[in-house]
Amino acid sequence: MSDSVRTLLILIPGLPLLSAVVTALLGRRVLRHWSHLPTILALGASCAMSLMLLLEVRQPAPDDSTSGSVRFAQVEPLWTWIDVKDAFELNGQSRDFTVEVALRADSLTSVMLVMVTFISTLVAIYAAGYMRGDDGYGRFFAYISLFVFSMTMLVSVSNFVLLYVFWEAVGACSYLLIGFWFQKPSAAAAGKKAFLVNRIGDFGFAIALFLIWTTYGSLDFHGPDGIFGDKLLSGEAAYVGGGVGLAICLLLMVGACGKSAQFPLHVWLPDAMEGPTPVSALIHAATMVTAGVYMVTRCSPLFFASAADPYVVGYGLDAVAISAPMVVAGIGAFTALLAGLIALTQNDLKRVLAYSTVSQLGYMFLSLGTGSLIGITAGMFHLFTHAFFKALLFLGSGSVMHSMGHVIDMRRFGGLRKIMPYTHWTFLVGCLALAGVFPLAGFFSKDAILIEVFVQGHSHSPTAAYYQVLYCVGIVAALLTAFYTFRAFFMTFYGPLRVPAEAGDHAHESPMSMVAPLCILSVFAATVGLLLSSSFGQFLVQTPSLAYVAGQEAAHATGSHHDHHHAHQLVATTSTLVALLGIGLAAFLHLGNRSQAQWLATRWWSAWFYRLSYGKFFFDEIYIVLIVWPLRLVAGFSYLIDRYLIDGIVNLCGAIPPMIGSRLRSTQRGIVQYYAFASIFVLMFFLVAALYFNDFVN
Amino acid sequence: MVAPGDGKKLREGVAMVEYELHLLHNYLIVGALLFGIGTIGFLARRNMIVMFLCVEMMLQGVSLSLVAWGRYHGNWGGQVLVIFILAVAACEAGIALAMFLMLYRRSGNLDMIFWQSLREENQSETVDVEIPEPDEADHQWPILTPAGIEPDHDTEKPLHRSHV
Repeated sequence: MSDSVRTLLILIPGLPLLSAVVTALLGRRVLRHWSHLPTILALGASCAMSLMLLLEVRQPAPDDSTSGSVRFAQVEPLWTWIDVKDAFELNGQSRDFTVEVALRADSLTSVMLVMVTFISTLVAIYAAGYMRGDDGYGRFFAYISLFVFSMTMLVSVSNFVLLYVFWEAVGACSYLLIGFWFQKPSAAAAGKKAFLVNRIGDFGFAIALFLIWTTYGSLDFHGPDGIFGDKLLSGEAAYVGGGVGLAICLLLMVGACGKSAQFPLHVWLPDAMEGPTPVSALIHAATMVTAGVYMVTRCSPLFFASAADPYVVGYGLDAVAISAPMVVAGIGAFTALLAGLIALTQNDLKRVLAYSTVSQLGYMFLSLGTGSLIGITAGMFHLFTHAFFKALLFLGSGSVMHSMGHVIDMRRFGGLRKIMPYTHWTFLVGCLALAGVFPLAGFFSKDAILIEVFVQGHSHSPTAAYYQVLYCVGIVAALLTAFYTFRAFFMTFYGPLRVPAEAGDHAHESPMSMVAPLCILSVFAATVGLLLSSSFGQFLVQTPSLAYVAGQEAAHATGSHHDHHHAHQLVATTSTLVALLGIGLAAFLHLGNRSQAQWLATRWWSAWFYRLSYGKFFFDEIYIVLIVWPLRLVAGFSYLIDRYLIDGIVNLCGAIPPMIGSRLRSTQRGIVQYYAFASIFVLMFFLVAALYFNDFVN
Repeated sequence: MVAPGDGKKLREGVAMVEYELHLLHNYLIVGALLFGIGTIGFLARRNMIVMFLCVEMMLQGVSLSLVAWGRYHGNWGGQVLVIFILAVAACEAGIALAMFLMLYRRSGNLDMIFWQSLREENQSETVDVEIPEPDEADHQWPILTPAGIEPDHDTEKPLHRSHV
């Protein structure tokens, strides 16, 4: 068993890497319009092997521990990358700084691997149709393969340093793919923006790693001293709470905010829609942006420790206890609401979906922020289901774009259900899943999140009131989700048939290679929630770090099962009603002649809100004034210093030799006698000087 | 104890040393003169062959002082070196004269002033204030008077070239 796991772990990222190299080397000259073949084959094989790995991990661990909960994690070290002896002393013990390139197989990893490889295989098949005829056909698939390699490595490495490395690698792939059409200035700018905003998050992540190293003396996940290793998980050593624990968690959260586009670093994701649509579906909806959620889930013991030992600010009655999960939940809920409000009025189909992604990621963080095991697994479950229906929606919007001649403004087309029946029906499934209508995938995962927040809000802990507010925010965001999703759906597929001039007179359904992935995804988006809602959490809890949380919760059990059952009915009813209300509202405003929407946008009491939402709450403008302009000023000042002061000094030094030379040049006249005279004269001078000094010395 | 004949020997010895020193001085003076004349000739003349001859003269001045020093020190080192110098000078003369020949073929002239193209850029060519035009007189060679006949002393006929 161990050998097969090792082989699978190496091959799952290895095949995409191989295909990236092959496509990059041969794509332009040899493969040309067959460039998609290596990628599709490699990703398909990776997907099959990920499923095999999932089955391996599913088997219960052979031995089992005393704690009752089943843990399974297998770590396969490949080689040692960095090895520094006695790098650091912690509590009188010297620690070696070693970075072992080790891959791990546990429930969390295998779930992420299955999701990533499955979605990427379908997206690669779709892209073979979507990107046909593009100049950079081979380049595109090389990037996609490289991205899948980086992403699979990101979820399977067992070390914080390597996690950081591949965290950056997926960021670089994202940059390359957003700016894929780099001749377009807006695409180049969007790529740069995504890269720079991500740097801020990565900076926080890097500092979090430094803090983890100085606090725990290790950056490995596994091993006796590892962060999720034997000693810490078994309680032999304790996780650090208080100020340091909070700082670590918040800095990790800064990194997650950058990668997963949470407030205040959410501004890059909507602009990232400049990239090709398959990229938006794969990277900016399903996989890369969920890396932050994965990372926080992986680090859940750290967050749990912060919740158990919050950092208290102030004294006496004014004291406020801050714990990391509260902050995570707050950021998540606020982002979910904010992005939902912005998505209400956007006219660009892909941007609506982008803000929807931001909003759903906010849901996931809200769920992780409950700090409980059920909340964490619910967040991961939402990540899993969201990947299917959001990829479906993006691919559907790409299909619309493909036949509309790359027009994406929803005001310019409508009534497409007659032209594009497949896209229409699959898009409808995606919308229903996103809105959370029973029995599609989104209903189960979103409900699981809301239930857990609701339960936290009605517990006896001092944070209950806080979570009650967040629950209300979550319900409002669910309403917004249903509304903007169906607004986009109705605007695109209903009303009188309108086709923009760019589409020409050949507007038609997309080719088979694009429709097939849509159909497959829609089947999964419809069923995955129902099939997995009960077993997903049980499977995921085998992950060591989640098993730790489960063990800790069991130790401090408060018996909330009754609450859960009661909450389930209430929340399910509420959220279904809210989703139907949102759909109904969207139908009322956008299904008919849309005069009500126009009317609403021009009333004095609602126009200000319309403008605020349409302008994306002016975050870009605020950032430009607060951050970009001051930085530009400093850069301009530095430029002047460099250009005139530093360069001036250098040029001055450089000007001295020519100045001397210009004086002496007139002596170089090319006449032999002059040179002879100079050498004889100089020789005589030195002879006389030597004689004189000899006399002087002796 | 000083032997009876010692004083004479001593005097003779002192005289020998003084004689050798004088001899050395004389040869060094001649060598220095040869070197100096050669130097001045090299600096002052423009005909390449004459300049070459001047260089040879400098070389001979050096050789002479080497031989003189060799004699003064009572060993053959100086003379051995001079033999080497002669051999090298012969080779050098061969090369130099061949080069002069090629230069003459190109410019039709042996004047060093025609070969100043190694000067710095933007430096104007050095031009003589007046390069004397080769006139008829230059090509007239001295005429030997027939033996035994009283030459007619024509004062208007130049007897030799005005310059080389």
